[in-house]
Amino acid sequence: MKVIESKGITKNYFRKQVLKELTFSIEENKITGLIGRNGAGKTTLLKIIAGFIRETSGKMNVFSETPFNSLNVSVNSIFVDDQMSFPPALQLGELLNEAARFYPNWDDQLARKLFNYFSFDAKGYHNRLSKGKTSTFNMIIGLASRCPLTIFDEPTTGMDEAVRKDFYRALLKDYIDYPRTIILSSHHLDEIEDLLEDVLLIHNGMILLHMPVSDLKEWAIGVKGASEDVLDFTKEREVLYKNSVGMNTLYVVVKNDFSEEALNKAHQLGLELTPVRSSDLFVYLTTETKGGIDDVFNNN
Amino acid sequence: MSLTTTSLAETVKKQYFYKLKANIDSFSSLVGIQILAILFSLGGISSSGMGGSFVNVNVKYYSPDLVLVFTLIWSFITAVTITTRPYRNHDFSFVTSRLSSSLSNILFLVTASVLGSVTALLSGNLLQMISYLILNEQLYNIGSGAEHMVLGFVVAFLYLMLIGACGYLIGSLIQVSKLFVLLFPILFIGLLFLEGVVTNGFIVSNVYKFYAMESVLFLFVGKTVLTAVALFIAAISILNRLEVRR
Repeated sequence: MKVIESKGITKNYFRKQVLKELTFSIEENKITGLIGRNGAGKTTLLKIIAGFIRETSGKMNVFSETPFNSLNVSVNSIFVDDQMSFPPALQLGELLNEAARFYPNWDDQLARKLFNYFSFDAKGYHNRLSKGKTSTFNMIIGLASRCPLTIFDEPTTGMDEAVRKDFYRALLKDYIDYPRTIILSSHHLDEIEDLLEDVLLIHNGMILLHMPVSDLKEWAIGVKGASEDVLDFTKEREVLYKNSVGMNTLYVVVKNDFSEEALNKAHQLGLELTPVRSSDLFVYLTTETKGGIDDVFNNN
Repeated sequence: MSLTTTSLAETVKKQYFYKLKANIDSFSSLVGIQILAILFSLGGISSSGMGGSFVNVNVKYYSPDLVLVFTLIWSFITAVTITTRPYRNHDFSFVTSRLSSSLSNILFLVTASVLGSVTALLSGNLLQMISYLILNEQLYNIGSGAEHMVLGFVVAFLYLMLIGACGYLIGSLIQVSKLFVLLFPILFIGLLFLEGVVTNGFIVSNVYKFYAMESVLFLFVGKTVLTAVALFIAAISILNRLEVRR
């Protein structure tokens, strides 16, 4: 069953087009990573899915319904980010009680255990929590609500290393016990890639890739060897990344659609073929400008 | 996870109780504003005196009129406040639709109006007690009894609802465009000026006559309830399009 179906979703803020004709679908009970650089349109897309904002054109279906103003989508989904706001009059313990009343699948035992594990004070207030603690509390609400569609938008903002690891582990354990559709947005692909089944890579409001993580790992290939041979081997292909290593040695990343023959030939030429880490590939694919940050500071 | 369902009524009910707890501060400000009004009323809200060579009569009126006026202002402010962005965002952290959010807001305003009208009217008795026990005034009670009390309560409640509905609509318009923050005071004060120029009375005095000078209870109830419902429906249809957390 398709939980999310998006057909040509476009979103404009004033004159700026943030999302450009996004068409994709997300299957039930999969963990999908929504990956993109800052300002790529991740949050905008997730807010349309959650029904917070309305698309400018196109058709978004969540559980076969338009999410904007749908109670069914609202009760079956939760959107967790660091901007989640709660009434300042309610204490943290009371907020858990309220969440329990609203979400039918709420697991109170899990919520209280996590609450104690991360040493929250039931009498504390949400607006007095630190950045990392806020994210941690929101994450607890997100996990314990057990919504069939759980959306985490950069859930680890402000969390320290230990809490981040705990969170990913908790997410995975709870997902295995209670499989559900989870969308995790982040710009740290290497941190979450072991968790993900699918990756949805967006850049400048457009979809670059949507594929299983295992395919992403084999999507590109790094070729290293004598410059001439490398250039010859990769000619007429789009070069994703190029780096000279020492004298007369070149490392080039290209899309991995070589035939068996071609690969054998490469071996004979003495070219070193290596898989590309998906987080590196993500950076190569989304680099706007040629060159790097150093060029900004080079006056010439 | 299997899909769950919920109904509008159920969600509104949950949100209503959530809002009673979440907006507890508005009730404490009601208490504060009424105490202030009571203090202002302690000298009697109006007085008249007459005297001869041997007798001197000084009549002071103690009534909750001022408390009611303050409560009306409170009702307006409360209604505007719950349309603001933080309050709408609170709803969207849990299960909601824009319709259920507005309906539970309206239920909250009804509750606030009931509470406001009851306390405002009872403050009249408190005032009389204070004037009798502490200020040692001789007390002559005009207009009392259950019937008087119920009538006063109904009328005060309807006024609070009407003002609350105005506040809710104005608040939701402000959420669409901040220009309304400027526009409404200009419009209101401008109308008051026009009122002074035009001899026969203009909009403000006619509106005032229409709602406040109605002596038939049945008609009064009809006018206020219908107006409040119309204002709420307008506000709901405006809020229904608003995006949140953008």
